Amino acid sequence: MHATKQQHDFEPKIVSFVCTWCTYAGADLAGTSRMQYPANVRVIKFPCTGRIDPVFILKAFQKGADGVLVSGCHPGDCHYMAGNFHARRRFAAFRKLLEFVGVDLARLEFSWVSAAEGGKWVEVVTGLTESIRAMGPMTEFKELKTEEHWSGQLETAELKEAYDSIP
Amino acid sequence: MSKTITEQNLRLLVDALLKEGGRVVAPKLAETMTLYEPLATGQELDLTKLPRRSSKETFFPLCETILTFERDEAGVRVGDVDPASFPETVLLGARPCDAAAPSILDAVFSWDYNDEFYLERRRKTTIIGLACTTADDACFCTAVGLSPADTRGSDLFLTPLEGGGYACQAVTDKGKELMEKQAQFFSDAGSEKPLAPAEPAGEPLDLGKIKSWLDGNFENPLWTKIADLCVGCGACAFLCPACHCFDISDEGTEAKGCRRKHWDACGFGKFTNHASGHNPRDVQPQRYRNRIMHKFKYYDDKFGRTLCTGCGRCIRWCPVGIDIAAILQQVEAKVEVE
Amino acid sequence: MNNMAQKIEATTPIDTSSYASATEAIRAEAARLLTEGSVTAVIGYRSGKRAGTAMPAIVTSPEKAAELIFSPSCVNNLALYLTKAKKDIRKTGKVAIVAKGCDIKALAGLMGESQLKREEVVILAVACAGVKGSGAATGEPLTTANIARKCRECTVHTPQGADSVAGSLSTLPELAPLEAEELARLEALTPAERWSFWKKHFSRCVRCLACRQVCPFCYCEQCMCDRNRPQAVETTPRPAGNMAWHIVRAMHLSGRCASCAECERACPMDIPLNLLNRKMAQELKELYGHEAGLKPKEKGPLAEYREDDDQSFIK
Repeated sequence: MHATKQQHDFEPKIVSFVCTWCTYAGADLAGTSRMQYPANVRVIKFPCTGRIDPVFILKAFQKGADGVLVSGCHPGDCHYMAGNFHARRRFAAFRKLLEFVGVDLARLEFSWVSAAEGGKWVEVVTGLTESIRAMGPMTEFKELKTEEHWSGQLETAELKEAYDSIP
Repeated sequence: MSKTITEQNLRLLVDALLKEGGRVVAPKLAETMTLYEPLATGQELDLTKLPRRSSKETFFPLCETILTFERDEAGVRVGDVDPASFPETVLLGARPCDAAAPSILDAVFSWDYNDEFYLERRRKTTIIGLACTTADDACFCTAVGLSPADTRGSDLFLTPLEGGGYACQAVTDKGKELMEKQAQFFSDAGSEKPLAPAEPAGEPLDLGKIKSWLDGNFENPLWTKIADLCVGCGACAFLCPACHCFDISDEGTEAKGCRRKHWDACGFGKFTNHASGHNPRDVQPQRYRNRIMHKFKYYDDKFGRTLCTGCGRCIRWCPVGIDIAAILQQVEAKVEVE
Repeated sequence: MNNMAQKIEATTPIDTSSYASATEAIRAEAARLLTEGSVTAVIGYRSGKRAGTAMPAIVTSPEKAAELIFSPSCVNNLALYLTKAKKDIRKTGKVAIVAKGCDIKALAGLMGESQLKREEVVILAVACAGVKGSGAATGEPLTTANIARKCRECTVHTPQGADSVAGSLSTLPELAPLEAEELARLEALTPAERWSFWKKHFSRCVRCLACRQVCPFCYCEQCMCDRNRPQAVETTPRPAGNMAWHIVRAMHLSGRCASCAECERACPMDIPLNLLNRKMAQELKELYGHEAGLKPKEKGPLAEYREDDDQSFIK
């Protein structure tokens, strides 16, 4: 039942921040139902989308993510009544900010996936993985990490190498 | 030894130095301001304005890696930064207030511990100073014992001439060497008159008097009065040629990372904050007092120098208009009254 | 700093003759309040040592009220001195504050966030034709070339809702909205072009944190960007941490910023920070109809929600 895994030149790293009540349970359902989806997504669970600070998204990109997915309960289904409503506004604003500083919004996706929507989880993750694979690696933040103010630039090759390899 | 150099030859000198593989740091136009930056060609040289930041970053970078670390099963491996890798540098067009600063800072970086990051950069740098022919209302080098034509700290010193070009004076052997090595760009001094030096408004301050007041006034209502306005940013310290405090941060992960040394400022609340949460300088007046005390008392006590060259940058860029020259005048006047 | 000023209309002086009467009115009102004892301090402006400059002043006795001024160099947003970060001043009791229209927006914002009560402060508003932008020479008068970029699009020259208004303005010149134009220009670029624009600016950041320290809304006693366990933003002044810092700063001010543009003015490295604030303000207006105003609002746009908020970006 395992389809032969296709070989790709580039496997994107995607970080997904999900709420424990809906999307995490949805992803779990996809797993227990033996649905296949790309292993490119690293799932990090939170109590609620309301706990997902925009800084986490930024940090994920800084640490080398090629894409970020944020997913939680559908409006009205929040375990804490309104966490996802607050999150919705915050993310609406944050994506505009990221876009304005020059991040391609195709790398940042949001979805509502309920505990019953294992199929939707597979669809969202597969779609995002494929589109990011097509876009190639996210280079902006990675390049920025290795940059120095001229005064502190190191000239030796060994150090440069040691330095570049730091995650 | 005194020669002259034309504007064009000064640019060609930059090109020649670059060709030899050295680095030339000099004032360069960066859109809305002038900054000391490494030049790519002599054409980029722009000596018209005092750069926004001082030239201290040539010796004391804004942020530099001092070691790398990596941890695995075998233990921790530490990668050292070898100061020998620092480039030979010519700092060109440093104003007297900037050129004098490293000669003041040498003392603190080679006192109980020899800071090779600073000292090696210092050894590898030749400073070509430039006399100021214009000053603005924030300049006060004359008030702290320097002058717009002061050669202190410079290896070579340029003075603009009336008809264009510069008189070039070798101040140290290092400067003389550079001049001899690049002799083709210099000509013998003619009868051309130098432009008159700038005249900063600041009346000379009696630094000894000021210090004597500071000696006895660690606690004084003046500190609160001044620092009530201070918002606790680091603009003054970061633009200052003489402020040299730094912090050390580890960055990366526990498994792999860098240790970095970067500028810090005593105006920040976090500067003296202890891990326990206790902060010995927990209000702004105490922090501002430290700024003044360090510059005009502590450094003098320890090294016999004043930690201020009167460049006026902190006055120009203080977001709330705090004027250190005015404060010094106020302190001086207090001594007279008392 | 406004580097585009040269290309616009010919430089003409802006009429600031009313600032003299505004100064008189502020002095009289400050002296009256301090004599009566209805306030313990007046936060205003006084002349700096250099001719033509001004700086904040905290006046506590009626005699000193005569030191207060209003001029085109009165750039600071004094609302800063009423925040938690500067709590010492308010410990003394009720205070009066000299405020331009833009500053009153910040006061209203602070009231909305329960940082300040209206009855704790006497607002001495000033009818303001504009103040000078950073980079203007100290001695020169206010002109269409050196006016602060925010003032070109000011809608609160003569503010409402204060306890008194000092001075009255005659006709004001029509000025090109340079900041709006710059914002539109950036919006029309590709993400990659915008990235290089901000990368260049943020790379110059030295992390002096003047932007944070002058902001009336950055009153947190513990900034998350100062924490190191866990560390949200690298504290070293390298391009990576600088980018993160400015993104976080802009996000934390979204829906709260009163657009006084103090961050941009205070920046010694000329980073056009208000463009970020302005962009966020524009987006929040479009999305949720929110706008910083002269009246306190109970909740900011990111502190409330509607069930039918736009979610077209969510799958």
